[in-house]
Amino acid sequence: MTTVRGAVERLLALVRRGRLERELEDEIVAHLELAERDAVARGLSPEEARHAARRRFGGIEQMKEEHRDRRSFRWMETLMSDLRYGLASLGRAPGFTAVVVSVLALGVGANVAMFSVVDAVLLKPLPFPQPDRIVRVWEAPLPGVVNATSAPDFLDWKRLANSVFKALSAEQPISVALTDKNGATRLSGKAVTADYFQVFATKAQLGRTFTPEEDRPGAAAAIVLSHAAWQGDFGGDPDILRRHPILDGVPHQVIGVLPPGAFDRDETRFWKPLVFTPDQQVRDIHWLTVYGRLRGGVTAARAAERIEAIYAALAQTRSINDRKWTIVVEPLARLVAGAGLERSIYVAFGAVALVLLIACANAVNLLLAKAASRRRELAVRSALGASRGRLVAQLLTESMVLCLLGGVAGIAVAGLLIRAAKPLLAESLPFTADVNLDLRVLSFAGAIALGVALLAGTFPALRASFSDVAESLSGSFRGSSGAHARLRRAIVTGEVALSLVLVSGALLLFRSLLKLQQLDTGVRLENVVTMSLDLPAGTYPTPQKAAVFYRAMAQRLEAVPGVSQVGLATHLPLRWISNGEGIIISGIRDPVMVRFKRVDPGYFRTLGIPVVAGRGITGQDSDGTPRVMVINQALAGRLAEVARMTDPVGKVVRVSTPGYVEKREFIPEVEIVGVIRSERVSSPGDRDPPVVYVPLAQAPSPQVKLVIRTGAEMAAVMPAIREAVRDIDPNLPLGDVATMEQVRDRTLSGASRPAELIGAFAAIAVLLAAIGLYGVLSHTVTLQRREIGIRMALGARVPDVLLHVLRNALGMVAVGLAFGLLGTFALTRVMKNLLFEVSPLDPVALTIGCASMALIGLLAGFLPARRAASLDPVETLREEG
Amino acid sequence: MSKPQSEVPYGTLDLLILKTLEAMGPLHGYAIARRIEQVSGDSLQLSQGSVHPALIRLEQEGWIRTDWGISETNRKVKFYSLTRAGKKQVPVEVANWEKATALVARLLESL
Repeated sequence: MTTVRGAVERLLALVRRGRLERELEDEIVAHLELAERDAVARGLSPEEARHAARRRFGGIEQMKEEHRDRRSFRWMETLMSDLRYGLASLGRAPGFTAVVVSVLALGVGANVAMFSVVDAVLLKPLPFPQPDRIVRVWEAPLPGVVNATSAPDFLDWKRLANSVFKALSAEQPISVALTDKNGATRLSGKAVTADYFQVFATKAQLGRTFTPEEDRPGAAAAIVLSHAAWQGDFGGDPDILRRHPILDGVPHQVIGVLPPGAFDRDETRFWKPLVFTPDQQVRDIHWLTVYGRLRGGVTAARAAERIEAIYAALAQTRSINDRKWTIVVEPLARLVAGAGLERSIYVAFGAVALVLLIACANAVNLLLAKAASRRRELAVRSALGASRGRLVAQLLTESMVLCLLGGVAGIAVAGLLIRAAKPLLAESLPFTADVNLDLRVLSFAGAIALGVALLAGTFPALRASFSDVAESLSGSFRGSSGAHARLRRAIVTGEVALSLVLVSGALLLFRSLLKLQQLDTGVRLENVVTMSLDLPAGTYPTPQKAAVFYRAMAQRLEAVPGVSQVGLATHLPLRWISNGEGIIISGIRDPVMVRFKRVDPGYFRTLGIPVVAGRGITGQDSDGTPRVMVINQALAGRLAEVARMTDPVGKVVRVSTPGYVEKREFIPEVEIVGVIRSERVSSPGDRDPPVVYVPLAQAPSPQVKLVIRTGAEMAAVMPAIREAVRDIDPNLPLGDVATMEQVRDRTLSGASRPAELIGAFAAIAVLLAAIGLYGVLSHTVTLQRREIGIRMALGARVPDVLLHVLRNALGMVAVGLAFGLLGTFALTRVMKNLLFEVSPLDPVALTIGCASMALIGLLAGFLPARRAASLDPVETLREEG
Repeated sequence: MSKPQSEVPYGTLDLLILKTLEAMGPLHGYAIARRIEQVSGDSLQLSQGSVHPALIRLEQEGWIRTDWGISETNRKVKFYSLTRAGKKQVPVEVANWEKATALVARLLESL
């Protein structure tokens, strides 16, 4: 204990030193000088004057000490002595202390870690200046549907809406090959208009960001790097501003590096100016994401009205096709945490709050048990004259010390949890979320620890001191009856109930996860590795060149030993297809909206997607042959519905088709040659959208995904795959390497994350409930020793005693389970949104939950029961007599 | 040191300092101590240093405040003056003192 006191003393000494001490020193010197001067004026010699001044002043050290006492806090001393007493008393029961502290540490730690996530995602303002002014601007063709923006529309907004926007920028994600002497690597970036960094109000740490001229045609090739890219991809080179890295074969000057922070958590490593080429200035192609910074005092709604007014005005002068789209201006803060993420986070937070409640219940229980066993000590002290208030204060200090220790340990636990979960969090949280044990989280931890201390400490302290002194002293207090025991049983019952809620919640999510894993995705996942590839426009300026390259690469890859099949597509299997187009059928007024995917002949084969009618896409379908497409069953159904096209194979329709690099679409006639079984491209629960598959050779795209089926050892084949691609073009890096299982998990991740989290919390809760049950049962047995001794002396056998104790335990558990089931029913509505094809009242999950809790009750009861049964009755009776 | 000297009665130093500041306006620590000595006709034995802890206490109560000034010896020193609360406190303290002395006097007479 002396070390603790010493530490506090040193800490206070540190605070005491410093300004106040120096000021006092100065005051004394000034005082003595003035006194000396007066003394000299009275006719004393300088020497005598100095002595006189000193004498009149009195004891300097004594006065300083008094001064310090006044400055510091009196109550500190009293508190220190109470703390010392508390620590000493805890030190006498190290086992008890360790159990309570670790129980609280688990509860507090889980909560603090979870709060840091809630805080980072939902509470903290975004890490940009005046974050509430940053908005995203969407077009909404239909209520609830949002769309990207075309370049001319964006330029209109920028020109005409500057009364509401301080800055407006458009962006498009890009991916380039960075080549240096070690070869080529892929770098994700964004092409942005010059206002981009004004929208986020971010200044460069080194150099500068873009000037207004830099997104005009003819500007020099310049890039801004993220801090992480500078440190990682460029080794923190201090001369970075003089370097000209080669991106897609073109040297770019680094004009600036951003400060570390939010942008480092995004996958964007660099930004380059977005220069609109004439062929991109088409109103029909919607491809830009628009962010804006509102002027002060402008609401999102007013900004939306302004843009709608611009639309209306332009529609009159320029006859933009009869669009009645509304504009959605949405604060960035609301966008980064989508509704799904928000719900998962709150459910997880609710789960940890339950864990904390259970931990508190445990602490109360243990403290009550402790207080009960100290009745005699307290009674003696009370008889010797200690006031009830004094006893309460002392017990309270003791529990406070315990809870604060628990809180500190909890912060350490939270730190570990956050560090362990960081990679997972970085993947699933928006880039603006900085999850950290910062001051806000620490104050939350402090508040929790204090709340726990009050909750868990006050009650036992009051109960203990209100008990009857005479009864305790006379030693007649025996057995498990009495209000005290009833209270503790009630607490354990509550713990069991809360734990059951958590456990069955976790089991429900787990079953839902299993269902998801077994979900028929429509593709064969095993031994398939995927990666992405971007062709630089400089080397592959025409779609023909790209088509030739793709064909050559597919052939080369299929020759790699260990590779069995190769497919190429513009979008990964099981991932959402971002391209949307329309099919125009003669005789039908509205185009049929479809998802649009370009694939090579190997795609369906590699993924085992069966052709159910007509044919798939073959090597014959190329630039020179008639345009063909394959549709999925969902589209076949849709065509039958809207166009009464029961047998689509052989029918010719017109399909809007995006260009290669240029932002221009054409609407050729295309023959439907086949129907395939739908592959899943959206999250479970959504219906398969209608999809069109067009031969990659007939409409190449510079960005493709490779889907490669390998033998058993995927990792072993990867170097050969890279080598093969390098053979054809040494400057093309492969990126985003992932197995098909990983791709699927990412599609399903919205549903799986809460399951993992809540599962972890449920495990903690079960552990805590087990500790609680064990604590109470073993304590009850301790108190019943005499009773058990008498029973055994009267002929009770060991099994009788065991049965008695276990019945007691199971009784508590049974009542707890009943309440827990009620709680589970109450939470049905919350759980329903998180479950996939599992009822919130799934009998399997609830049965397993109840059974496991009962088992834990039995285990927790068995150990104390066995101990009780092994007691020697003679010994017990003598000891207690 | 020819005159007989008495100690400052317990608890009165605060009152003396408040009264002094009320009468004299802002003063530094030494001046306060000297003033109290002078008014008492040097019959009060005051350890001059003891005014400093008392000043801290009064400042903590919010009755006096400090401003930096320059002493006659050209040194930066604290000048103390009454706050508004301090001005209100002076009559209260005086009344308390009078009540206490009246009580003690009555007790002494009747015992």
